Amino acid sequence: MKKDNYRRKKTWFEIFRYFITLIGLLVMIIPMYYMVISALKDNATTFIYPPDFFPSFSVLDFKNFIYILKNVLFLKYLLNTLFVAIITVLLSTLISTLLAYSFARLNIPGKKILFAIIISVMLVPGLALIVPQFELASMFKLTNNLWGVILFYTAWVIPFSTFLLKGYIEDNISKELDESIFMDGGSVFTVYRHIIIPIASPSIAAVSILNFLFPFEELGWSQAILKSDGIRTLPVAISMFFRAHSQTDWGYVFAMTTMAMIPVIIFYLLLQKYFVTGLSSGSIKG
Amino acid sequence: MMKSAMKLEKRKRFNRADWRTWTIFLPGMLFVMLFTIYPILKMFIMSFFDWKIGFQQTSLFIGLKNYVDVLSDPIAIRAIINTFVYALVTVPLQMIIGLAVALLINGIKKFGLFFRLGYYLPVITSWVVVALLFRYIFANTGLMNYFLIDVLHLMEEPISWLSSRWSALISAMLLGVWKGIGWNMVIFLAALQAVPLNLYEAADIDGASKTQKFFYVTLPSIKGTITFALVMLAIGAFNTYTPIAILTGGNPMHQTEVVLTWMYFQTFDALNMGYSAALSMIVTGIIMLVTVLLFGLTNRKKVA
Amino acid sequence: MRRKSIIFALLLFMVVAFMGCNNTDEKVTIEFWHNYSAADGQITVLETLIDEFEAQNKNIEVEHVFMEWSALKNSVTLGASTSVLPDVLRGDIAFVPQFQSLNVLLEMSAFSDYATQSAKVLASANSSNLMGTKYYGIAANTNTKILFYNEDILEAASVEVPETLDELWTAVSAVSSDSVIGMVEPWTGIWNVGPYIWSEGGEVLSPDNSTAEGYINSQTVVDVIQTLADLYEAGELAGPSMDPGATGDTDGWASELYAFELDGPWRATSNAAAEINYGAMALPEGSEGSISVLGGENFMQFKNSSEEKQEAAWKFIKFMTDEHAQVEMAKVGQMPVNLAALENDEAITAMPLLPVFQEALLTAKARPVIPEWSQVEDIIATKVAEAITGAKSVQVALNEAAVAIDALLDE
Repeated sequence: MKKDNYRRKKTWFEIFRYFITLIGLLVMIIPMYYMVISALKDNATTFIYPPDFFPSFSVLDFKNFIYILKNVLFLKYLLNTLFVAIITVLLSTLISTLLAYSFARLNIPGKKILFAIIISVMLVPGLALIVPQFELASMFKLTNNLWGVILFYTAWVIPFSTFLLKGYIEDNISKELDESIFMDGGSVFTVYRHIIIPIASPSIAAVSILNFLFPFEELGWSQAILKSDGIRTLPVAISMFFRAHSQTDWGYVFAMTTMAMIPVIIFYLLLQKYFVTGLSSGSIKG
Repeated sequence: MMKSAMKLEKRKRFNRADWRTWTIFLPGMLFVMLFTIYPILKMFIMSFFDWKIGFQQTSLFIGLKNYVDVLSDPIAIRAIINTFVYALVTVPLQMIIGLAVALLINGIKKFGLFFRLGYYLPVITSWVVVALLFRYIFANTGLMNYFLIDVLHLMEEPISWLSSRWSALISAMLLGVWKGIGWNMVIFLAALQAVPLNLYEAADIDGASKTQKFFYVTLPSIKGTITFALVMLAIGAFNTYTPIAILTGGNPMHQTEVVLTWMYFQTFDALNMGYSAALSMIVTGIIMLVTVLLFGLTNRKKVA
Repeated sequence: MRRKSIIFALLLFMVVAFMGCNNTDEKVTIEFWHNYSAADGQITVLETLIDEFEAQNKNIEVEHVFMEWSALKNSVTLGASTSVLPDVLRGDIAFVPQFQSLNVLLEMSAFSDYATQSAKVLASANSSNLMGTKYYGIAANTNTKILFYNEDILEAASVEVPETLDELWTAVSAVSSDSVIGMVEPWTGIWNVGPYIWSEGGEVLSPDNSTAEGYINSQTVVDVIQTLADLYEAGELAGPSMDPGATGDTDGWASELYAFELDGPWRATSNAAAEINYGAMALPEGSEGSISVLGGENFMQFKNSSEEKQEAAWKFIKFMTDEHAQVEMAKVGQMPVNLAALENDEAITAMPLLPVFQEALLTAKARPVIPEWSQVEDIIATKVAEAITGAKSVQVALNEAAVAIDALLDE
């Protein structure tokens, strides 16, 4: 009897939990819902008052999406963004694992100060550096070039990646493991290749996801570097499209942004489990 | 004996920074130096000059004048205060809500992925797009006034959310919190799943209530994550640009400027490169102070 | 596997990085930055024109890059010191003094046939390229602001089309209701309040542009701004820079919220697209006449382009300022500067408002051509907004503006 009561209470609690989570979810996705609905509607009816939350199905169609696919180099922008994202992930993974290993293990003079310097890079507001960084980029002929975006993105994400990876290495890989490799005549390269990389892989995966998403979001720098239409990444393209259309063709803009979210959602769904394992350990656990 | 001597020998080899060490360390370090630290140093130098960005123009060394200009500029001070308020409100709020959502979702057995994705959607949507959506929500004839007047009947007259300093900042802060909840949820979910189950079992045996378990088991176990999130979010809050730029553009009358929107104005509209450099050095100093304080506070608690 | 991909990436990088250096094409490629609007079909027309130009000049290739207004300005600013600049730029007339202060513009009057070409365009529009005795650009399009009104709203309120500025203000009040805001003014800079000030005989700066004291805070200007402040307080004037929550002008026209706006040719295009029944006329006369503000765009060239590219770019600019290209652009809402195009029947049919704009252009006034102008205008916009929204009394706000502008001009 008592147990039954307890179970019933528990069920009620579960239902309550779902209810609250669902209400929260609804509040969270109202703006997204409105974006998708507006993408399916006629341009002129986007920002009307009172808002039309539940338009009848007869006014919804895909003509805004078709317009974008026909008139805008959407796939090209997507490929550019993917290219930037993949190379940024590869480069930043390589460099930040090497740095994290160095800071965690190797005997480098002034290591602590150097690490502090790298970390303090995170504290400088990114926008402030646009002037000196642009000069640097044009010195290396990196303007109007996807590499101008890739190399700087890589440099920006390295401090955070190094910070997370260093913590993970320190917490999860014992020094004895390193030393047994040295005993067997291995070098620091062997340790890096056969100990650090395999054992730190969950953390590498988590960091990679964050770095992968970065080019899908960043606007200021990419807009300064990428001028030609054919090499723009999605954020730049969306922003330019929105301005070129005199800020009125909301249906097109929202169709474009809705489509831009699809690859990111797929990527998140594929890799979200690494988010949990990779972030649950390491320096952020403390 | 023999073995330990050999070990010592190997250890020495390990400790010495030979060419292999440098091969591992230097390329990455030089890369970061070149692409981020060099520009930061350059900016530091710029902050002491009346920096001319034009072609073949000479810049004049003016000492600390840029710093004096920033600190005596009422708009810069207002921007810094606005940024502080933004940080003080959005950082704790999104952490608390994010943690609450993580706790809710953590106990859910079915549709977990569905909920996680739903809450994470705002994070992976571009800032520009969500800021535009929020501008519509808080417009005089926007969704918020529609809800308050026509759905909930709380008011008679619409509120001009974006027309005054604080109500516009509230709108921007709501946007910031809304966009940040998902990120907090993800990292707190990760932290919650790493809390050893036996701690909860032990608490069960002691007859602890749910609330007690939360305060005595969960919170202490995720303290590291909390500090981490606090620092990351504080840095992020000081880097707020898009929400303000799109919601109000700093209007009306520069009332709603935050540090970065004002820096943008000084860089590109006023061409005061030295001023912007000084402003960003000052802000970097502030963020550094905040970070050290945050880490210091949590570390002291650890000792106590 | 990973190492291989990294090596591959580095190789790829080197290939891409060096590709730019080996461009030994016989063709001259010129880069053209502009902010023609895509929504109005201007970019499509531009692409057709470029094709025609390239067909006529087989050795020149034009690569056009769209950038919105602020991206255009920021890109030139960022690229100035390292000469990461286009060969041709078509941008706001206000860019000329700013870019000149960055020391990047090519003196266009140095071309031997500049005088011939500039004789083909409106002298008033081209004057915005004059710095000292040299021209640093040539007019591309011109525009000024005329008064647009929603005929349906006026009719519903039985309000007559105003003939003087005073009548305009009365009409703005008369048409305002729960669902109508009489007037919209998107910003409070001189671009916006200048016409009202000038038409009543006020000035912003002294004739030699050396001081604002006694000009921006004169009684005339105070009275004009006070009129706007009264309208704003009564809810009969709105604008996103005074209240960022206000409906934007284009959206507001489309939803028939706004009755009057002093605006440029693009308003005709967007009102036609939104199927609004509108009328337009030159700004009604104040005590000193009807004086609107001169706007428009110029073509500019940059001195660090190679000589070959400068010549090619100049050819392209001549093509774009000749009658044919100007008429084509008129069809998509760009007001011509070419004198022949202004008389062209096709252009007039495409832009029925052309005569109205031409009338307004006769008396339109240019904003001061000084490098500090964008900062001066920001001070004015801020202080005027403070005055209009009632944050400060009009006289106090404008006195502060005068002090701040003078401090800037003294530097």
